[in-house]
Amino acid sequence: GSGLLNTATSRLTSLFRNVVGGKTLSKSDLQQPLQQMQTHLLEKNVAREAAERLCQSVEINLLDQKTADFTSIDATIRDSMTKALTRMLTPTSSLDLLRDVSSTTSGPGARPYVISIVGVNGVGKSTNLSKIAFFLLQNRFRVLVVAGDTFRCGAVEQLRVHVRNLSALSQREGVGKVELFEKGYGKDAATVARDAVAFATNRDGHAQVQGQGMLYDVVLIDTAGRRHNDTRLMSSLTKFGQLANPDKVFMVGEALVGTDSVAQARNFAKEFVDTKGKLRNNGVGMDGFIISKCDTVGDMVGTLVSMVHATGIPVVFLGVGQHYGDLRGLNVGWAVDKLMK
Amino acid sequence: MVLQDLGRRINAAVTDLTRSPTLDEKAFDGMIKTISNALAEADVNIKLVANLRKTIKSAVKFHELPAHANKKRIIQKAVFDALVDIVNPHQKEYVPKKGKSNVIMFVGLQGAGKTTTCTKLARWYQARGFKTCLVCADTFRAGAFDQLKQNATKAKIPYYGSLTQTDPVVVARDGVEKFKKERFEIIIVDTSGRHHQEDALFAEMVEIQSAVQPHQTIMVLDASIGQAAEAQSRAFKETADFGAIIITKTDGAAAGGGAISAVAATHTPIVFIGTGEHLLELERFNPQSFVSKLLGMGDIQGLAEH
Ligand SMILES: Nc1nc2c(ncn2[C@@H]2O[C@H](COP(=O)(O)OP(=O)(O)OP(=O)(O)O)[C@@H](O)[C@H]2O)c(=O)[nH]1
Ligand SMILES: Nc1nc2c(ncn2[C@@H]2O[C@H](COP(=O)(O)OP(=O)(O)OP(=O)(O)O)[C@@H](O)[C@H]2O)c(=O)[nH]1
Ligand SMILES: [Mg+2]
Ligand SMILES: [Mg+2]
Repeated sequence: GSGLLNTATSRLTSLFRNVVGGKTLSKSDLQQPLQQMQTHLLEKNVAREAAERLCQSVEINLLDQKTADFTSIDATIRDSMTKALTRMLTPTSSLDLLRDVSSTTSGPGARPYVISIVGVNGVGKSTNLSKIAFFLLQNRFRVLVVAGDTFRCGAVEQLRVHVRNLSALSQREGVGKVELFEKGYGKDAATVARDAVAFATNRDGHAQVQGQGMLYDVVLIDTAGRRHNDTRLMSSLTKFGQLANPDKVFMVGEALVGTDSVAQARNFAKEFVDTKGKLRNNGVGMDGFIISKCDTVGDMVGTLVSMVHATGIPVVFLGVGQHYGDLRGLNVGWAVDKLMK
Repeated sequence: MVLQDLGRRINAAVTDLTRSPTLDEKAFDGMIKTISNALAEADVNIKLVANLRKTIKSAVKFHELPAHANKKRIIQKAVFDALVDIVNPHQKEYVPKKGKSNVIMFVGLQGAGKTTTCTKLARWYQARGFKTCLVCADTFRAGAFDQLKQNATKAKIPYYGSLTQTDPVVVARDGVEKFKKERFEIIIVDTSGRHHQEDALFAEMVEIQSAVQPHQTIMVLDASIGQAAEAQSRAFKETADFGAIIITKTDGAAAGGGAISAVAATHTPIVFIGTGEHLLELERFNPQSFVSKLLGMGDIQGLAEH
């Protein structure tokens, strides 16, 4: 059979085919246009597994349905795919990070809100952590950045530079405050993270601040990049999750990555179990994805589809550049437009 | 290892076909489809997969095969050749010479592994008797100089960089001049990550390049890159005319097809692959032994020499 690899030309001609309306769609009517749709998704960097599933759901949706008047099979499929993508990418419950932080850090039982950032090597964890810090500072929170990457050369200094920059910015604008918590290289990241949370909480009443409440509103923990097929480094995430006990675990996946995105998302999510062996966050493991480097891929934003498909975990932020302001919430319509273009 | 699973699947498709009692054209088409799917799943550029499919078909000319032909061997060879052709750019890499200054400049997307690989390559040449050093021309990324400094120190390689100068062109020029005067033989220049959508970053790359006049420019690519590989690598090729590729993070689970597509799009050889985060985790790359390893076709090793 043909299918998967039809050229752009044959796709173009198919646009003029089947402009009928009122046609009952059979499996064979749908087969070729759906194959073309799948190729289209693959070209947008959607992993094959996710593209296949989306096409299947469109097929189920359209089989034995009638096309609307003056509507081609292709237009009908496009419409159905747009809906399927929108459904997949729209989170079931929306995350309002600022409100979440506010309610955790005020009132009786107030404590610092803890966020940790995980992901494979070089995807943009430290940079996007700094962007989140900037966002929180703009909203007048006190932020403690934790150098939990105690392995990669320069990782601590990288965060120190970011904290210095952010601190200068926030002082100039008179908002928030930010500091770095670091124990140098070679230390156990889980222990550093736990100590940082204790420090922010001021649980033991540190000498000079005895009697004061918590010192920071948000603790942002960076971690070392790790391959998702490195079982030793991956399993250390479990202990990390338990000791740091974060309110939110965000995984950074980069828009540049291809099919590996599926396994990345699955393998990270499954490490976050509590002491009873139950997956965090109602059985899904993590709380959200940050899809970085969206500015480097044009319309090929398929990674976000692949990662959500793999786990059901929503995308919470997009990284769209290398500066502190280059962080966006996910606009589902924007993403779907790019994918369907 | 990169492409290992892909190799297994391609090999299985070929073997399944050649073992089946009815080796007819339909079965042959089925095999090509299986191979195409496997390649697409390995992030090989979708248009490239379409071409590969045509190449294999026209190389085998199934319906013209005489009845007594060794179909298995003909099909295996066609698949093998088509794959070797993708990774074999028919272009020679630059070979540094002892006794003169060879300047090597690294370019690539953000986070690809340039800084890590710079030091690995420096150590590789140093171990082979070259007087080797590193220049940090990344003045943008936070902590970039510290990263290079700590890597270089561990590897005992002299380095140059600045914590105050913000113009990477100036740092690159000063560093290369200094080390040329000191008669270093391999001078490796690390640069910031960049992407073709941002013109200013590409302009900066060109300026650094004309300031240091590298003998070789190397593009570093992450093995996990997907469909964006082709457009990015083409743009880097057009602007920086790199003469070699290094694929990093091949110890990951990604199949590496995106990076392979970049090779095909730019006709540039892969010279090394990165196999881990540590200093010594760098391997030479040879396209043919790579593909035969990939296909697990020990028995057809001889085909490569034709
Ligand atoms: N264009 C672009 N570059 C980004 C984005 N986010 C991060 N980067 C760049 O990606 C590179 C790697 O970023 P880091 O934050 O160091 O990545 P990391 O995941 O912390 O890396 P490791 O700690 O080494 O695993 C840097 O050059 C960043 O500037 C983004 O949204 N767009
Ligand atoms: N597993 C693995 N990790 C690697 C390899 N090469 C580099 N890395 C990791 O990838 C991450 C990014 O590497 P860098 O060398 O900082 O990348 P870069 O291209 O210099 O990044 P920018 O300067 O920000 O563009 C780091 O965490 C490295 O340790 C490799 O071969 N295998
Ligand atoms: Mg980092
Ligand atoms: Mg670098």
